[in-house]
Amino acid sequence: MFSESARMSSAAELRYRVQAPNSKTRATAIIALDAPSESFVRRLSRDHWNDATFLTTDASDTPIDLQADDGWLTTIADRRTRVRDVVDAADQVIMVAAAGGRAGAAEIIGRACSRKRVTTTALIVGAADASDADVSRTLAQLRPWSLMVVIANSDDYVTDMMTALRV
Amino acid sequence: MLKKEQNDLLTQTGPGTAAGRLFRSYWMPALLAEELPGNDCPPVRVKLLSERLIAFRDTTGRYGLMDEFCAHRGVSLWFARNEECGLRCPYHGWKYDVTGQCLEVPSEPEASGFAKKITLKSYPLVERGGVLWTYMGDPATAPPLPEWEFITVPPAQTYTSKRFQESNWLQAMEGGIDSSHVSFLHRGDLNSDPLFKGAKGNQYNLNDARPVFEVVESPGGLYIGARRNAEDGKYYWRITQWVMPSFTMIAPRGNHSVHGHFWIPIDDETCWAWSFDYHPVRELTAAERSAMRDGKGIHVRVDTAYRPLANKDNDYLMDRAAQKAGRSFSGIEGIGMQDASLQESMGPIVDRTKENLVSTDNGIIMARHRLLKAVKALVDKGVTPPGVDVEHQKVRSAAIVLPPDQPFKEGAREAMIARPSVAPASV
Repeated sequence: MFSESARMSSAAELRYRVQAPNSKTRATAIIALDAPSESFVRRLSRDHWNDATFLTTDASDTPIDLQADDGWLTTIADRRTRVRDVVDAADQVIMVAAAGGRAGAAEIIGRACSRKRVTTTALIVGAADASDADVSRTLAQLRPWSLMVVIANSDDYVTDMMTALRV
Repeated sequence: MLKKEQNDLLTQTGPGTAAGRLFRSYWMPALLAEELPGNDCPPVRVKLLSERLIAFRDTTGRYGLMDEFCAHRGVSLWFARNEECGLRCPYHGWKYDVTGQCLEVPSEPEASGFAKKITLKSYPLVERGGVLWTYMGDPATAPPLPEWEFITVPPAQTYTSKRFQESNWLQAMEGGIDSSHVSFLHRGDLNSDPLFKGAKGNQYNLNDARPVFEVVESPGGLYIGARRNAEDGKYYWRITQWVMPSFTMIAPRGNHSVHGHFWIPIDDETCWAWSFDYHPVRELTAAERSAMRDGKGIHVRVDTAYRPLANKDNDYLMDRAAQKAGRSFSGIEGIGMQDASLQESMGPIVDRTKENLVSTDNGIIMARHRLLKAVKALVDKGVTPPGVDVEHQKVRSAAIVLPPDQPFKEGAREAMIARPSVAPASV
């Protein structure tokens, strides 16, 4: 006589798995932290996503004001918006920085996420062509403000990751 | 989540499939050497990558791995007589050598040369480190023999076991790189298991139940770092190695041995979970070997067919009383079966279109990403996948305390390379 575990883990039984959706869409903010990643995030925004907002830290590439308790971000449609408002509306935040790029804005964004208990993921892209020193410099700015850091050799990982997370 | 076609692509490894071609690029563990213990010993049925094979050791000690069925009428050669440098089918006496070449067809005149025209498909089978390895790809592109450290250290320093797992290889392998489940599923085992307890690193684990993860691409696969707070603002790092397609190595604890796994597809619904423990600079003690045989650490107690004694037929010996009393978080005994029971409960091939991954699953997401890219590059352009190069195999996991601003890839650079007679980085 088979046990319940044996019967229920068969391929035949798997056909009876409930087909109803088991999750709702999570609101995700994807933020380019520097100029090189900005063009990538702009390209990414043209794909179809469920609930994603694409932002840049500043179109003019001037550093975000780290002395302030809040900062400004810019949507892909060139609308200025407060970091705090972006984080308030998000279930998760993905920060993208190029290896060697300036990622200082991660601090303001990370602080806002900490306050709201919003999950932060940081991606360093283009690591294959960057020196260890460049990767380290960017990593040092991201690490304190990220619950997960991924150092990817190429930027196509970001698309795969967002798809995997149902963004 | 994965799209259905991606899930199918990565989970199907039979002949002619894309992921099957990927696996056929590597030397894979096929059998423990103990399964063919002597010359002319009984042959052993083997199924790998959905191919039914027979393994045997001939009169001179040569190993053979070939099509299980006699070319004449399709009899399983498990019934064959292993005699005088070949397997002889008991039905009509056809005889094959270790290369699958038919040597004799008794009903045909020897001078007819008929036997020379009969050849069973065969694969090389080579012993290294107590494991019999096979390569099932194109012989013209066979890579060098494997150089994993656990098979290159002296025999007294290493121990390998295997167990049958009733799930697809990918969901088993993904458990090996899913560092975030340890704080739940395996809690309680760190301080009691004889192969883990006593290490200072255990205290870092227990003091900080919310590790932060970093995933970094490596030449052969991934480094997956989990960091926890240590003294003086420093971080305690546990670095897992994943080398494509299915080798994982877990960070060591104290002076305990280093350990890891291979997950090798038997077919699309079952796999072999290989588990190894070794120490780079010392022999394993009798107590350690005894504990490993007894299913401690990452090993599992199995029957003579290498099926775990706790298995789905007996509900994995689930102990609800121990679960309720807090003696066991999952109610299943042993780290290996805690993992296997849950992975098998997903069904033979988990439907990844229904999953909801979170940020801490980036190790799994990146592994799938690299596997899909490697399969595509191999199929479209013939690019040799990562992990075939023996330099990619000379890796170690590591446990190390580093300053807060130091990338673990830099701080543990030397520690993550296997070097003969150099102690592992462990806390």
